[in-house]
Amino acid sequence: MSFKVELIAMAPEIFLISIIQYLIIYGVICTTSSHLNYPILVNNLSWLSLQVLFFLGLMTSYNPLTYTLAFNDLLILDEFSSFIKTIIIVATACTILISLKYNHFERINAFESIILLLLAVTGILLLISSFNLVSIYLAIELQSFCLYILAALNRTSEFSTEAGLKYFVLGAFSSGLLLFGLSLIYGFTGILNLGDLFQFLSVSPYNVYVINGINLASLFILVGLLFKLSAVPFHLWAPDIYEGAPTTTTAFFASVPKIGILALLTRFAYLGFYDIFFSWQELFVISAICSILLGTFGALMQLKLKRLLAYSAIGHMGFMLIGFSCGCFEGIHATFVYIVLYMMMAIVSFTFLLGIYQKKKLTRLHYLKDLTILTNSNPLIALSIAFVFFSMAGIPPLAGFFSKMFLFIVAIQSSMYTIAIIVVLTSVISCFYYIRVIKLVFFDTSYLWVPLVRLDREKSIMVSVITTFLVCFAIYPLPIIYSVQNVLYFIVRNQFDLFYT
Amino acid sequence: MFNSLLSVLILIPLCGVFLLFFIHEKNAVAVKTTALVFSLITFFYSIFLWILFDHSTARFQFTEYLEWLWSYNLYFFIGVDGISLLFILLTTFLIPLCILSSWSSIKKSLKEYYSYFLLMESLLICVFSSLDLIVFFIFFESILIPMYLIIGFWGSRTRKIKAGFQFFLYTLIGSVLMLLAIFVIYFETGTTDYQLVSNFTFSDRRQILLWLAFFMSFAIKVPMMPFHIWLPEAHVEAPTAGSVVLAGVLLKMGTYGLLRFSIALFPQGSLYFTPLVYTMSVIAVIYTSLTTLRQIDLKKIIAYSSVAHMGFVTIGLFALNIQGLEGSIVIMLSHGFVSSALFLCIGVLYERHHTRLIKYYTGVAQVIPLFSIFFFFFSMANLGFPGTSSFVGEFLTLVGVFESNTSVTFLAATGMVLGAAYSLWLCNRILFGKLTTEYISQYTEINRREFAVLIPLVFCTLFFGVYPELILDSLHMSVTNILTKI
Repeated sequence: MSFKVELIAMAPEIFLISIIQYLIIYGVICTTSSHLNYPILVNNLSWLSLQVLFFLGLMTSYNPLTYTLAFNDLLILDEFSSFIKTIIIVATACTILISLKYNHFERINAFESIILLLLAVTGILLLISSFNLVSIYLAIELQSFCLYILAALNRTSEFSTEAGLKYFVLGAFSSGLLLFGLSLIYGFTGILNLGDLFQFLSVSPYNVYVINGINLASLFILVGLLFKLSAVPFHLWAPDIYEGAPTTTTAFFASVPKIGILALLTRFAYLGFYDIFFSWQELFVISAICSILLGTFGALMQLKLKRLLAYSAIGHMGFMLIGFSCGCFEGIHATFVYIVLYMMMAIVSFTFLLGIYQKKKLTRLHYLKDLTILTNSNPLIALSIAFVFFSMAGIPPLAGFFSKMFLFIVAIQSSMYTIAIIVVLTSVISCFYYIRVIKLVFFDTSYLWVPLVRLDREKSIMVSVITTFLVCFAIYPLPIIYSVQNVLYFIVRNQFDLFYT
Repeated sequence: MFNSLLSVLILIPLCGVFLLFFIHEKNAVAVKTTALVFSLITFFYSIFLWILFDHSTARFQFTEYLEWLWSYNLYFFIGVDGISLLFILLTTFLIPLCILSSWSSIKKSLKEYYSYFLLMESLLICVFSSLDLIVFFIFFESILIPMYLIIGFWGSRTRKIKAGFQFFLYTLIGSVLMLLAIFVIYFETGTTDYQLVSNFTFSDRRQILLWLAFFMSFAIKVPMMPFHIWLPEAHVEAPTAGSVVLAGVLLKMGTYGLLRFSIALFPQGSLYFTPLVYTMSVIAVIYTSLTTLRQIDLKKIIAYSSVAHMGFVTIGLFALNIQGLEGSIVIMLSHGFVSSALFLCIGVLYERHHTRLIKYYTGVAQVIPLFSIFFFFFSMANLGFPGTSSFVGEFLTLVGVFESNTSVTFLAATGMVLGAAYSLWLCNRILFGKLTTEYISQYTEINRREFAVLIPLVFCTLFFGVYPELILDSLHMSVTNILTKI
């Protein structure tokens, strides 16, 4: 593989990193210049970064190369990674778009937030294309560090700094576990490259000592990754950090990093780790069911919207893990369809959080009861909230139902009947807190008439597009389902090629 | 030539919804008129379908086949036979009446209100015409969204929130079990096409489990005895038109599902569980009839009497012979007319006096005779008076059950006596007696609009009571087709 091809293969990441450096220089020079009156560059940089993401999206989706290993097999480029990268870039662009006005209103005038966001995206992009244990760890660390800082961005707020600190301590601990797992694998096998590892594991090492070692290592890796996914035994950070971090950061947390971790898990699962992970299938299943239960029952009592969304995110993560624990192609397919649709719902629900505020005091939504009888003042927003939350609850014919339907199909297919029944019944209970929000928006009687600020242009476009998508998904669901199926098929085929040629 | 007749029927109300988007909220008359015109077009179009329908075959007609999720072997497959066509007609018949009846009583968010009704109409048509289990499930459950919003937003009291939750969660918890059962069928047969699945014979043990899962969903929707709690609440709290749709059509989704899926797909399961259904239904008939006697809310009385009538329907369905099945379908249709009409009558009273408690109304026959005639007529129809369509249905049902189980017939027949008791007592308490002006001093007679709403229902009740052949003709072939599978 010539160096030139490698450069082309990794062009998006290289482009992003170099652009970030330019943006930093631009920001530093401009914000400190006295004859420009020390401008606040947050919005400016947001728009610039949107442009960057636009070009980045083009570069990833139109990359001429299909299956390439680059830089001494450190990184891989295939259809799977390009697809997930495109999704991540689009989602990041959406979160930047919905957070345009937020920084202005909350007086977070640090242009670094955008730079950090882009750096976190770089980390996630690298994570998706990592093909080596070391690069996996480094990429995860890159994104986590940026997220720690982003959580503590609002440095005058106690909540925010607390969130940042909590996230840092717990995140560092889980990264330690992950690193320990990775180094155990290296210790037992002497292999860092995932392809080699796949070949090594597929000839089933007869040495029990090695197998036990790898089992142990994969347990540590799993714990580390489940932590990043906020699945149940390792979920404790999620509600506090969702609540404490600035809402823009939370919107990013809720949607983007998880898909990166899931992509990594998929890569592990398709590479030889499959058998090894399979011995931890119970762990997956237990974690999934506990996540669903905790997400459901934890959210029932929440009074704050962000905490509610945090618990619902835990619940949704449980659903995705159900797909994973089935251990089949359809399961992972269902998981990815689920996460794509879930990301849309998460982004649009955070758009509501960021966009709705009261006219008089410019206070933002904090409590559920702030939404009371929203339909009188903003009927269209109320209607979109209803659609989005019905969709999250999984009521047909909205998109959320289909994502759940595919998961149930897979669960039944892999004869996990008990689990399917538990999950289905819990999903009914979880409906309760979603429709409670709708109840607040539509039904409650309130003597307080709260005039709200209109949604600005970007947010209303975002809300209308995504809501229409959620409603109309049922009519023509094939594009998303197929594109996910295709890329997952490609990853299978590529591994096959790797092994047999 | 007849390829897209049914989907046009589904699309007409949706066009109405789309058009309503562009009418300004303030222009109330335009909103109402658009909704009414579109629902009427749908109604006349469905009559047209009935004329084109071929009664001499049990085949599904007007079938349409759309590739939808073909990698999962799921298709959007719709078509009607005699049974589903009648339910579609009932739906399209009742929705214009609902729209007309809420002409002056609904004052807030008109656009949303009428859009929900039109939306619900097309969803209901989809439910009754879907020939794919998943498609059926999707529409069966999507009705929850507009109905929940109608109950909660336009309901009358603060208790509506509880009612909305109950309605939503009860229905959902049953139907998710049905969803799992559908997936089990899907993996056993490789398809969810109704016609293919109905030719498949499941093992006995499978049938019992699948039947139970389907039954959970339908029994809650019907509602049968232990699962009926949501119904009186939802009825009482919903606006009048909401109650009409709820009693008139939504309950029929449950019995239709029992007939179309539980009985036709799992005959062994149905036979196995017939005693259970009989017991639940008989208890429902007797218990709810007695409960009716001690209610003080007008709507609750009608709601409980609906439960009793639905008990009759389920008894008839599980008689598993042609009289029983046809009788129960006739009861379903006539209950669609009669209970809707009674809810509309109560709506008339409520709109004027804003109370539904019996205590405040006595002797109204002396001041509003026209209303009283209507109310009395529909009460008579409710108790199954000969000459009304209910009588035909109840008679056929009892004949059918008599063939299979005499003691159940005896117990169910006591329900008719109790029905007479509560209907007559209700009439007695409201219409007759000494007129008190203590609480309500001013009564107004029903106006022309309300008259126009009630007259079609009177006509249907009488017409199908005298000449039920019109319904039965469309039914014979389809019902026989279902019975041959047993």
